[in-house]
Amino acid sequence: MSKILLPHDDKEHTLSPEVPADKTRETETEEEELRLRRPSLGDWLDLRLGWYGFVRKNLDEPMPAGVGWWQTLGNLLLTLLMFQFITGFALAMYYTPSTVGAHASVKHITYEVTLGSFVRGLHVWGSTIIVIAVVLHTLRVFFWGSYKKPRELTWVVGVLIFQVILGFSFTGYLLPWDQKAYWATVVGTNIAGTIPVIGDDLILLVRGGPEVGALTLTRFFSLHVMFLPAMLMGLMGLHLYLVRKHHIAGPVNPQKGPPVAFYPNQLFKDAIVLLFGVGLVIYLAIGFPPALEAIADPTGTDFSPRPEWYFLGLYELLKIMPAGYEIVATAIIPGLVTIGMFALPWLDRSKSRHPAKRQWIIYTGTAVILMIGLMTLKGILETPPEHKAPPVVGATQAPSSMREVAPKSLPAEGKQP
Amino acid sequence: MSHNNSNPQDDTVKNKERRKFLGIAVGVINIALIGAIVGPVLGFVASPLKRRKKGEWVAVLDDSHLAPGDVKDVSFTMRIRDGFQDVDRQYTVFLRKSDDGVVCIDPACTHLGCRVKYQSDQHRFLCPCHGGVFNQDGDVVSGPPPRPLDKHPVKVEGGKIWIYKEV
Repeated sequence: MSKILLPHDDKEHTLSPEVPADKTRETETEEEELRLRRPSLGDWLDLRLGWYGFVRKNLDEPMPAGVGWWQTLGNLLLTLLMFQFITGFALAMYYTPSTVGAHASVKHITYEVTLGSFVRGLHVWGSTIIVIAVVLHTLRVFFWGSYKKPRELTWVVGVLIFQVILGFSFTGYLLPWDQKAYWATVVGTNIAGTIPVIGDDLILLVRGGPEVGALTLTRFFSLHVMFLPAMLMGLMGLHLYLVRKHHIAGPVNPQKGPPVAFYPNQLFKDAIVLLFGVGLVIYLAIGFPPALEAIADPTGTDFSPRPEWYFLGLYELLKIMPAGYEIVATAIIPGLVTIGMFALPWLDRSKSRHPAKRQWIIYTGTAVILMIGLMTLKGILETPPEHKAPPVVGATQAPSSMREVAPKSLPAEGKQP
Repeated sequence: MSHNNSNPQDDTVKNKERRKFLGIAVGVINIALIGAIVGPVLGFVASPLKRRKKGEWVAVLDDSHLAPGDVKDVSFTMRIRDGFQDVDRQYTVFLRKSDDGVVCIDPACTHLGCRVKYQSDQHRFLCPCHGGVFNQDGDVVSGPPPRPLDKHPVKVEGGKIWIYKEV
């Protein structure tokens, strides 16, 4: 465990020359006195908010020697999540969470609203890049052993954020109410039904009824835009507080040299990674505009459901289970992995953060990661071609079927497939 | 990067210049990122500004059903685009036949848009919200309305009264 020396010694000195020091000391010149009597907006705010102190504290956040590119993933996640929040609030202005309006409103967004395909593309591709970033961020913390004392709770809150992000993915996937969304949710929610004793009630609770229908859509919408964002904000606030309180753990082998300030080196690396991460999302949103399949058809039989790629591992695991043992794939294995993740700081008793000093944890973790990776790869390779290349309609061209008339009365829902 | 020239206490000219350069670079990148998200989202949210009104001639009444001097309210249906859906919406206008021909008066009060009512005994339009009063021709008699009631173009063709309505 490397001890971090604070660069501050509480004497008055300015670590960032750009940020003025505290102004309570004696004024020396007439000019300065005049300036204090007529403060700038920055000075005025500083007196009330402590703004300079806040900026300086964050820019001078001590980083142990040897931090680098691997420590930029948290900032990337924070930024991409803020992007999701902004594009999400914009999409919600046009989206209608009903089985009658959902598909038509997403079509409207994609083909009629200004920049609709792009904004929706940012949201859809952003979610994929976020899953990749959160996995990399978690793996970095795992292999670096950064979850060890006193950072156990930072890790636990991080695992909760991971779960919330997966919850966002699962609930958001249904909202366009197309075939892919509908059938993935039918299968996904069926998983709840495999749990003994409470399964049948649980499925009613998750779906809001026996079938995936109008109440499933409103439930998922409410979770996606109200509950999960509120949870995420609270958890992210706590996570950031803990990261600032305990500072970054730094390299596994403590490097010589005093801590360095966050600004400018690390902040610059963060900015470069943000540029690439956000650039990738923008590139994907333009190059691969989001598709919209046919409207969900509960009576259809010619559609083979597949989940989003990051749930494919679980999907493949479920496929190889013999009949009667589904619960192993749906609850026991994912449950054990989740419990293992939460308990990691207490399962790993070694004092050292070095991978060689905590071999069983590293081996077990690597085995689990490889298994998930292989299962996901298997799922991707076995994806039938029609799922790989969804029909992409030109973003400016509205299909003629769009001019459909809204039905006067609501069609009956919940037909048996 | 293990070199330590980012030490804030290092006051060499080189370090100062380096900090300044990196600060500007970070600022430029951040502005680019904010622009990348705020620009498209603003355009997306402001999409309704792009919408332009479209007009249509609608036959609303047989000419023979409107007696000279009469004021009559008629309702008709138009197919309009409402967000993601096409809907049939009902509209009401007042028709008045005078010596000059047929006039079509919109019922939206020019003060704040409440629907005016026609009082046939007093030959006037009354707005229930703030007491605006208009005469039979739609001109302001009293109250807060700033201008006469709006008129729609009218033509009589094939024995029917047509009005031109913008939606």
